Amino acid sequence: MLAKLAKRNKVLIGALALLAIVMTIAVSGCGSTGTNTGNSVGTASGKQVMLNGAGSTFDLPLFTKMFAEYPKVNPNINVNYQGVGSGAGIQQLSDMTIDFGASDAPMKDEQMAAAKGGKILHIPITLGAVAIAYNVPGVPKKIKIAPDVLADIFLGKIKNWNDPRIAADNPGVKFPDLAINTAHRSDGSGTNYIVTTYLSSISPEWKEKIGSGTSVNWPGGVGGKGNPGVAQAIQQTPGTIGYIELAYAIQNNITYAQMKNKDGKWVSPSLEGASESAAGATIPDDMRVMIVNAPGEKVYPISGFSWVLLYQHQKDKTKGKALVELLKWMVHDGQNYSESLDYAKLPQSMVGRIDKMLGTVTYGS
Amino acid sequence: MMDPADNAVTIDLPSNYAVRRYKDWVMSGLLILATLIAVTPLFMVLGYVVLKGATAINLSFFTELPKPFGEVGGGVANAIVGTLILIFVSSIIGIPVGILSAIYLSEYDRHSWLANAVRFTTDVLMGIPSIIVGIVVYTALVLAMGNFSAIAGGVALAIIMIPTVIRATEEMLNLVPYSLREAAYALGFPKWRTVLQIVLPAAAKGIITGVMLGVARVAGETAPLLFTAFGNSYWSRSITEPIAALPLQIFNYTMSPYKAQHAQAWAAALILIVLVIALNLIARFALRSKNA
Repeated sequence: MLAKLAKRNKVLIGALALLAIVMTIAVSGCGSTGTNTGNSVGTASGKQVMLNGAGSTFDLPLFTKMFAEYPKVNPNINVNYQGVGSGAGIQQLSDMTIDFGASDAPMKDEQMAAAKGGKILHIPITLGAVAIAYNVPGVPKKIKIAPDVLADIFLGKIKNWNDPRIAADNPGVKFPDLAINTAHRSDGSGTNYIVTTYLSSISPEWKEKIGSGTSVNWPGGVGGKGNPGVAQAIQQTPGTIGYIELAYAIQNNITYAQMKNKDGKWVSPSLEGASESAAGATIPDDMRVMIVNAPGEKVYPISGFSWVLLYQHQKDKTKGKALVELLKWMVHDGQNYSESLDYAKLPQSMVGRIDKMLGTVTYGS
Repeated sequence: MMDPADNAVTIDLPSNYAVRRYKDWVMSGLLILATLIAVTPLFMVLGYVVLKGATAINLSFFTELPKPFGEVGGGVANAIVGTLILIFVSSIIGIPVGILSAIYLSEYDRHSWLANAVRFTTDVLMGIPSIIVGIVVYTALVLAMGNFSAIAGGVALAIIMIPTVIRATEEMLNLVPYSLREAAYALGFPKWRTVLQIVLPAAAKGIITGVMLGVARVAGETAPLLFTAFGNSYWSRSITEPIAALPLQIFNYTMSPYKAQHAQAWAAALILIVLVIALNLIARFALRSKNA
């Protein structure tokens, strides 16, 4: 009996020892990174600050790149960003559990009013284009889809790919007799907001019946979660048309359409087309604006900003100063990381206005 | 299970022997088929994850921090350690609470209204979607503390773990024959000693299995961690800071546009599965040496 007990204890002790080793590795791992130790005391090299941000999943790849590069410029600041979705980012900032948020849709007035920490600034940080993707066997890439045709497809009024209204813009292309199936984002997303705002801007019927928002009552079709969900829906069912972020379409070789912009030119979704939207649109002082269907020859009409959201008054002076420094870097040097990841650069005309806006941030309790 | 060939000399075969043998074949075949159908998905999942994930696994996968999106390489070291820490924190809270509650229910208060109420709540708790636990902990802990933390993540996982541990432990304790307890009392053991030295060791095997089931259950949870542990691209400096976790990392990678990250997601999934299997094996190993 005693021997048995001793034996069992040995095993238990062994298991505990294993756990202890793991924990030691964990703790030493934390220490060994060096760049992010101790947030309370100032050291000779200056204060170490870790900023937490959350929001848009669209921004996540660009932000991880920027935040991996930034410590090379300023080793005292580490930024942890989690892509929890634009809506959740707004909610978390409002609850003050994070230092900054990020969203592909501007905050509504009632959301601004509900925020616990006072007035929130919208800092445009990058631009995205939404591609209209389709899967129609035998039909080439980059077919032309007119705005009213797109609206009527998503409204369910154009039901077949052989509809003469589709063929009218694509002479020489033979469309099959195939039912149109539409795919949309089932999760609340900034991409939805851009697309529905665009459809509202070109179709009075859409504006009246469906409207715009991060999630709307789609007249039909199938839903998919995130870009991967929609892409899958498109690829699985021939005849499906949907929308996905341009970066996703490019990285995964998904076929997309040309759109007609406000100036009547046919344009493929591109980073340049998104940047031109920002340059062509009228942007108010608070930067809360949708820039779909902006004027300009090269404009790709289904484009939009993504914003970093922060409180104008930063209670924690150290963190607040670090955050503003970070944002300044992001709109200047940080922009150089955009294009290799398929994000559009902010137009030069906006950078000065953003700097000015960041200058209005106040610090201290 | 007698082989008819051996007994053919002494026993007359029934007239419908052929039919019965045929029935036996058919039924055995169906049982084997059902087992295969049940096991196939498991092996398909395992095989597919190994196939997709193995190629992205190398040493740096275990030692490095995640690379920025769109770039090949890097690792998930912080997420592996984060998951272990979260399991550790949740176990420290969940296992004692679960086992002690079960001892109370089984040994001290089997039939009172309180015990029944606890049993009922436990069953309800077991069926609650894990994201709701996450929201509750977010409201109760994260908002109160003002930031996301490993503690909040651990508490959320513990809440999910506790009902599994309670139910498994209680059932195991109930299986211990009452005569064992009576024998202990007859030898003059006080109740606490009976529980500690007679009942618990007798049920140890089942209890450990139950605990491991609880731990394995929470190891792969994503939803309750989203707004509690939150995730971290770096090492966490303390358990009061946001912490990385494998399921969160897999989720982020899967939703990204880049193939490099998709490969990382498969590899991380493989690690997570291996981790859960390892936990199970450790438990079994511990049990085997105990019974030897």
